[in-house]
Amino acid sequence: MAENHGAILAEDLVKVYGGKVRAVDGVSFDVRPGEIFGFLGPNGAGKTTSVSMLSAGLRPTSGRAVVDGLEVSRNPEQVKRHIGVIFQESTADGDLTGRENLEIAAGAYGMGRAESRKRADELLEKMHLGDSSERYAKTYSGGMRRRLELAVGLVHQPRILFLDEPTLGLDPQGRAGFWEFIQKIRQENGTTVFVTTHYLDEADTLCERIAIIDHGKIVATGTPTELKDRLGGDIVTIKTATENPDMTGVLHALPGVNSLQKKDASYRVKCASGETFVPLAVEAVSKAGVGVTGVIVKRPSLDEVFLEFTGREYREEEGPTATDRAVMIQRVQQNLRGRR
Amino acid sequence: MLREFLALTRREFIKLRRNPQAIFTSLLLPLLYLLLFGQGFNINPAQYLPVGTPPGVIQDILHSYFRGAPNYYSYFSAGMVGFVAVTATLFLGANVIFDKLFGVFKRTRGTPAPSAAVFGSRLVAGSTQPIALAFFVLGLAVLFDHVPGLKGLQVTQSVGVVGVIYVVLAIVLLTLMFATLFLTFGVLIDVPQTYFAAVNVLNLPVLLTSDALYPWGSMPPWLQNISQYNPVSLAVNVLRETFFGSSAYPYSPAVYLLGLLAWSAVLIGIALALVRRALRPLE
Ligand SMILES: Nc1ncnc2c1ncn2[C@@H]1O[C@H](COP(=O)(O)OP(=O)(O)OP(=O)(O)O)[C@@H](O)[C@H]1O
Ligand SMILES: [Mg+2]
Repeated sequence: MAENHGAILAEDLVKVYGGKVRAVDGVSFDVRPGEIFGFLGPNGAGKTTSVSMLSAGLRPTSGRAVVDGLEVSRNPEQVKRHIGVIFQESTADGDLTGRENLEIAAGAYGMGRAESRKRADELLEKMHLGDSSERYAKTYSGGMRRRLELAVGLVHQPRILFLDEPTLGLDPQGRAGFWEFIQKIRQENGTTVFVTTHYLDEADTLCERIAIIDHGKIVATGTPTELKDRLGGDIVTIKTATENPDMTGVLHALPGVNSLQKKDASYRVKCASGETFVPLAVEAVSKAGVGVTGVIVKRPSLDEVFLEFTGREYREEEGPTATDRAVMIQRVQQNLRGRR
Repeated sequence: MLREFLALTRREFIKLRRNPQAIFTSLLLPLLYLLLFGQGFNINPAQYLPVGTPPGVIQDILHSYFRGAPNYYSYFSAGMVGFVAVTATLFLGANVIFDKLFGVFKRTRGTPAPSAAVFGSRLVAGSTQPIALAFFVLGLAVLFDHVPGLKGLQVTQSVGVVGVIYVVLAIVLLTLMFATLFLTFGVLIDVPQTYFAAVNVLNLPVLLTSDALYPWGSMPPWLQNISQYNPVSLAVNVLRETFFGSSAYPYSPAVYLLGLLAWSAVLIGIALALVRRALRPLE
């Protein structure tokens, strides 16, 4: 085992389901220790499949996964001791209390009764579940349930956390609260976090680096800023009073302009910096005798990055995607639990 | 390994305790059989013999018809013990499938707990209820013998320590065997409908080729032939021989127990190999 290793290494990972679905198609990346790494992609892109292969849940068709210096295919049991996983779907036992869920998970990692109880206490406290610790998990709200999942995933103090859409279905407060917990854990323990999410704003503010996966292939990797910069800067829309005369030439001649599109009386300009471009543009257009009626400056968000690299916002899939399944399962679970 | 096993076993017992309806419903089937089926079906072939048949002949006929049991109810209620040990283990596999649907099983499999602990906890905890139920049926049938107006199980010879051990072993082995079988189905199958179909395909033929319910003398020879290898029959034979004597049986209870042991060893061996494969850390 090399001492000087990264936290997670994926090397040309491939997963083919049933001999035909290439869910993951040659994915490579590395995650540094202590880093929070975002894995983004549309429904069905292969995120969950990648997480399963990295977390010793699924054998890759080919390729290599190394986690915390351990070759996953050779040491699956060892890997499981080093990592915590929050699955996309809920895994808590609704007929057990929050505390029981935690204690039994602790026991499954080989802790004795007393140790399990102590660890459960700590985590319930930390996740603000202390008051509900003796309630059945089926009575928990969505946010509480996700916090319980997180607590269960942390029960053995893993060095690396895999979070598969951990905030799915949570309201904005719930999401913010959840990420606060994650940040606290990272600060306290230097935990490495690998997270998949559909919420791009989350990825933008939280993740140090991001990989975007589409159709099982990584289409872009970098820090959120790098990725946004790759789009060619800010997008400025200048609206003019009249369509003629055409201002294309005038605007294009200004410094920092990367590209320009005209539609009716509006000009959509990609430029290095919106702040410096706007005064110049307004002056130039006015000088040419055309009135400026509006200016919009848009900094590229990860949404634009996402669209740019994956082509569309959501994918029409044949059959339910993993997210659909997770949501469906949650609904069925709630129905069944409600009825019992 | 032990800690993992104990934690997971604890979970099974908590689940069992939280579900008293399941215990109540599991009592219902044997109660109905003991109170209605057995009482209503209490065949007495002697009543169809011509008047004046010598008592010795009547004795012989009854003896071979019920294999030494004094009457049908006594014969049948010993069979019910085996019947219950099988049917009460059915829910074990279904629980695994529901835990898969609820994601709970995924969580367990995400931990490094060995598959032996995952399976063993369910086997051990899950077998306690069927075993308890089998003894409950036995106790109830004996009790009925002392309730006026009800038929009951009449034990016609004294049951020594060895007899008790034989009975306990027969019940425990039979239960463990079917619990293993149905749990394996649960591990291998993901869809409840498929599971229940598979269970039915197995359950009814097993029970209906055994001599648990039919009077031995009413079974055609070919069915007698099949039934003597049936694991439910083997277990039930141990009970009947212990309660009613060995004169109607070609082998001693120990031989039947060995047969049951052989069945269990083979089936449990196959099942565990399949389970170990299915629960490998990386599928
Ligand atoms: N067990 C399976 N058998 C066959 N195909 C599968 C299986 N699991 C996933 N797939 C397919 O593999 C592809 C990738 O699925 P995966 O669950 O990894 O996507 P995802 O990026 O996690 O999607 P989502 O955002 O919806 O969770 C999809 O086309 C999916 O339908
Ligand atoms: Mg997914």
